Amino acid sequence: MKTLVTLTVNGEERSLAVEGYRSLLDTLREEAGLTGTKKGCDVGDCGACTVIVDGEPVNACLMLAVEAAGRDVRTVEGMQAGPDALHPLQEAFMEHGASQCGFCTPGILLMAQSLLERNPDPSDEEIRFGLSGNICRCTGYTKIFDAIRTAARRMAAPPADASGLEAAE
Amino acid sequence: MTRQDFRIVGQSVKRADVLEKVTGEGLYTGDYAPAGLLHGKIKRSEIAHARIVRIDASKALALPGVKAVLTHADVPRVLHYGSPHPRSASCTRDQYILDDKVRFWGEGVAAVAAISEEIADEALDLIEVEYEPLPAVCDIDAAQVPGAPLIHGVGPGGNLVIPPVHVERGNVEKGFAEADLILEGTFEGGRPVPTYMEPNVCIADWDGSNKLTFWTSTQSSFMVRGALAEVLGLPLNKVRVLVDHMGGGFGAKQDLFQHEFLCALLAKQTRRPVKMEFTRRETFVAGRSRHPFRLWLRQGFRKDGTLVARDMKLVFESGAYGSHSPGVTNVGTASATSLYACENVRLNGRAVYTNTPIAGAYRGYGVVQTYFAIDIQMDEAAERLGVDPAELKLKNAVRDGDIAPSGHPIIGDGLPACIREGITRFDWAAKRAQPREHPTNPAIRRGWGIGCEMHGSSAYPGIKEQGNATVKMNEDGSVTLLTGAAGLGTGAHTALAQIVAEELGVAFESVSVVHGDTDVVPWDIGAFASHTTYLVGSAAKMAAAKVRASVLRRGAERLQARVEDVDLVDGRVFLTANPEQGITVHEAMGPSRGIPAEHLIETASYMPTKSYSFAAHFVEVAVDTETGLVEVKHVLPVHDIGKVIHPIAAQGQIEGGIQQGIGHTLTEDYVIDRTNGRSLNAGLVDYKMPLSMDMPHIETVILEAAPDPGGPWGAKGVGEDPIIAIGPAIANAIHDAIGVRFHHYPITPEDVLKGLRAKEETTNAGL
Ligand code: FES
Ligand code: FES
Repeated sequence: MKTLVTLTVNGEERSLAVEGYRSLLDTLREEAGLTGTKKGCDVGDCGACTVIVDGEPVNACLMLAVEAAGRDVRTVEGMQAGPDALHPLQEAFMEHGASQCGFCTPGILLMAQSLLERNPDPSDEEIRFGLSGNICRCTGYTKIFDAIRTAARRMAAPPADASGLEAAE
Repeated sequence: MTRQDFRIVGQSVKRADVLEKVTGEGLYTGDYAPAGLLHGKIKRSEIAHARIVRIDASKALALPGVKAVLTHADVPRVLHYGSPHPRSASCTRDQYILDDKVRFWGEGVAAVAAISEEIADEALDLIEVEYEPLPAVCDIDAAQVPGAPLIHGVGPGGNLVIPPVHVERGNVEKGFAEADLILEGTFEGGRPVPTYMEPNVCIADWDGSNKLTFWTSTQSSFMVRGALAEVLGLPLNKVRVLVDHMGGGFGAKQDLFQHEFLCALLAKQTRRPVKMEFTRRETFVAGRSRHPFRLWLRQGFRKDGTLVARDMKLVFESGAYGSHSPGVTNVGTASATSLYACENVRLNGRAVYTNTPIAGAYRGYGVVQTYFAIDIQMDEAAERLGVDPAELKLKNAVRDGDIAPSGHPIIGDGLPACIREGITRFDWAAKRAQPREHPTNPAIRRGWGIGCEMHGSSAYPGIKEQGNATVKMNEDGSVTLLTGAAGLGTGAHTALAQIVAEELGVAFESVSVVHGDTDVVPWDIGAFASHTTYLVGSAAKMAAAKVRASVLRRGAERLQARVEDVDLVDGRVFLTANPEQGITVHEAMGPSRGIPAEHLIETASYMPTKSYSFAAHFVEVAVDTETGLVEVKHVLPVHDIGKVIHPIAAQGQIEGGIQQGIGHTLTEDYVIDRTNGRSLNAGLVDYKMPLSMDMPHIETVILEAAPDPGGPWGAKGVGEDPIIAIGPAIANAIHDAIGVRFHHYPITPEDVLKGLRAKEETTNAGL
């Protein structure tokens, strides 16, 4: 039996017909066509499916679509401000080589975005702790930490300075 | 081979594939969903060794939504290879798609296609299987006793996968007779699994002309094509294998897996596309691990530290099928001819079947195990001889002209350079002069260790490889590189594009890469053996050079100059004597009314031998003597990889390899119950990997100390090296901290506490 679930995905209202047992992850990937969010385990162990629901990071594989009804969901597809405007985190991940195979990347980007929203100037320890539920098997994390630090710095910098940096790149 | 003025090679240009990854646009196999898609699932055995006496799928077939069920009675019975290098003489044919026998707990016995995953799962429970249990052989000792139950009827006898590998050089007995110090020990290692983040996944779809289109997350798309075609009885042009982005592989995604055949057959039977996606649990149970091993090693040294003899016996546990055991056994055994030079060696390597999950290819391919033992014993020798371990390793490190495992002379002094650089940068002597006690916490002891390795870029001589590349220049001067090399996340495509741009003389941004379609791109052996940059990079450079020559010729004509008098840099052909006078490549290509003056497409093939990369890792550990916990605090890896193409990508390989290697050494072990072959920790919580909180400070140093003439501008591989050196470095550092030697991995907190207790008892007894 399918239910119609209405939720906001990346600022857009979507009504999706889903079975009651469908996870938010499968719903985003299969019903909403948003395959950027990845499935690394489906049981809450890897963080590849991290999305932001009402401002909080959530493992989308552990949330039912029906639980997300009426809520605000953000995924990697919604990170960019515009077609040519990468989010500072996306930009920094590219520059630092923080993504190799990239399978963990959407989840880590969302987790980092949520971290920086709550704490714009995290310490190294806070970054490590913030990512403790996200498995990356390729990078050794060092470049991910670097990228998050760089993005935090740029997001905190006054706009003129930030655009200067962009221009220099 | 070398030149001074690199413009693109050596720069950490932005990777095009990463742009797609950070935006979520990059498509991985599991992201495809062709219309009418069915979902496939595999029923797995719950017994390690048995004959199937009855299998009844009728109830499953009757379930609404189930479209097909396959058992061993329904699939072609073709004996095939698990390791997809069928042309290599050393591979073992020992697998059927489905058999009437099961050889490990978790082996597939039937497959279902249904309209949803849930229905497919339900159908699996409805398949009835009756087993006649056979005695299970779940460790290498049980497999080797005379009269042990046989797991296969093939092979050289007993439970051996291949005839033992024997390598002998010099005269070992004479060497030992000259030795002042002889050390002997037995080493063992567990079962680390690669744990790539993207579970194995494939989609099969047949068209009306009986052509199979097959999306799969593989490192070796042409090997998959070859094996599928062979087993399904199709010509190669009727199998099209597609792979775009991959969520890691680390070697293991070279195999052709059982589910891939089954997916193709289910799609054929239902005439609908079928997707098969592993659960995380299946990546353990039905994936591929590193080979568990036991290694006996005896080495002789002169008083002055010279290594004079090495005798080694090595046994790898292959699990239920041969997969990569022939390669791993050959490479792992032969690697002991080298690293620390020794004229007298006698090496024996074997691989045995057991009723456990399949060991396959995994980053470090047999060398991890061998060098773990050799490097630790080197450390012991230093201790016994009263010399600094780094100095002893430096003294014996292989040098230019020494014979490599491949049988060729080593080029350059890469290993000594790494050790020397590390001694300085790590401040090795000053660090080791510090007290082992922690300044503030009495429970903690600190230690410093060094581990060394070398690894070949390419699988030569086991496989005579061939790297291919096609470079096209479009009429506007933009360039397309076609390559069969997989993009498993390393940045290989970017490195190849850099090589083409550099060689051709155009901007990096004007080169795009087409890959991942066996109908379109040149044949490729697969992305493994740390060889893509070395092997395919050389082919790409050669193809680019041919295109460059044509562009220069065209440009010279247009400039009315002799071809010797023109140059091509940054997409411009100009007079060398007067650079102002020139034209763009676009103009040189002279399209008129959209038609290029010349169709420029060039292909090159490259057959390499082998080069070796080298590394020395310096680590600091902190050992908690109350809890047994070992924390890796600092790693300084020094790698010689010849010419560096993309520094950040190379560092990324090293740092990621260290992460996996720390895991293997301290926490990671996929545990099989040795009494019945059952998996005990097939999940991400119970299989413990180092995560963000566990990673040490890593200070990567890359040297271009020993460029290899066989690679583009001297470039060599880097993918596998880091995972080899880190293990012995950590084990040696633990010994430095607490005075306890460990000859196995993982070295768990329980092991540390036990070791400390045993040491205390010996000390007390001695008093
Ligand atoms: S897929 Fe949700 S945590 Fe792994
Ligand atoms: S980049 Fe591959 S898992 Fe993180």
